[in-house]
Amino acid sequence: MADAPTPVMFAIVTTRKESVSGGMAPIFIAEDDQERERIAMWLTRITNAIVHDLHNGTLILTVNQGG
Amino acid sequence: MSSSSISINWTPMIVGFLAGLISRIISLKSGNTHYPGYPSGYISQLALAVIAAMIGSSVLTSLVGKQFTAATFLTLAATQFRDVRNTERTTLSQEEKLILVSRGPGYIEGIAITYEARNYLAMLVALLTSAITLVGGLIIGIIGGVIMIVIGEIFMSGGRVGDIIDVEPAKIWFDKGTLLYVGEVMMMEVGLPHPRERYEKEGLGVILTPKNQRGQAVLWNISQRQAITYEAAAAVGVQKDIGYPEQTPLCRMAMPAASGKAGLSILPVERNMDKLIRAVKRTPILEASKWNRITSPVINREEM
Repeated sequence: MADAPTPVMFAIVTTRKESVSGGMAPIFIAEDDQERERIAMWLTRITNAIVHDLHNGTLILTVNQGG
Repeated sequence: MSSSSISINWTPMIVGFLAGLISRIISLKSGNTHYPGYPSGYISQLALAVIAAMIGSSVLTSLVGKQFTAATFLTLAATQFRDVRNTERTTLSQEEKLILVSRGPGYIEGIAITYEARNYLAMLVALLTSAITLVGGLIIGIIGGVIMIVIGEIFMSGGRVGDIIDVEPAKIWFDKGTLLYVGEVMMMEVGLPHPRERYEKEGLGVILTPKNQRGQAVLWNISQRQAITYEAAAAVGVQKDIGYPEQTPLCRMAMPAASGKAGLSILPVERNMDKLIRAVKRTPILEASKWNRITSPVINREEM
């Protein structure tokens, strides 16, 4: 089903680095919310990944495989 | 056939040929699937239409003229039209990677099947019209041809989404700061502030409510919703390019409530709600979506 994409974690952008650890995606640590959003926006423009807000100071970027 | 000793009555063949050709050309114009879009596409479809009408109309004439070999060859030629579906599917699938809002495999299959069937329909119309002309003469043949074309059109025009689903405008808003909602339907999570502002300022949303069980079944089909999205984007345009995945138009079911309603969110170029609703209503119902009643939780809940 090409219509139902499978999201794969691509990157993590956070201001609270103690809330994330390990895994397959690189973690970008930002000083404040503004920088976090700037990094996330740049990453999404470059990689076509989708930004999601986890509401705990962390943004995740996912890429749809086969979407 | 000129070697035949009996004189050939050409009238059935000519009337049948014209009826078949007209039947095919009418359907080429009324297509709203945005295909074919180029003169070259029309030419290849026209060439196939001529061949199909030719085959259909000449079968009876060659049988009457006792040219059984010719008639056999014509039925052989008819089987060549199986390839039409493959050709259409390949072309559209290749295009899929190059367009921003894809049609979805279900829609492509639907278009391919329709194109194949249209050629067979032209053949049938030509055959039946030539039969009528053979029996009833020129005038009755022409009248019969017109009736055949009309019947063919009624027979081939499938349902539209608007027939079984209500489409109403709805407000676009954000819950918890980042969750994009159309009316009561949650669409997606928009993590960046700029696209959120853009959605609130320029976005359009509609709610799709099924009128009956058939509408329910149709809406639960992913391909059908992708086709609706494609038609919506084709009508009002979409502010999107590579690198802007959050500005993709979406059509999603109301989950986890599973009320059977769907929402459609789009960032249009032309902010015209009437045009958007008209486009959604005009989307053809895909063949694949008709038989998916089992996938609708709402219907199954009602039946239990």
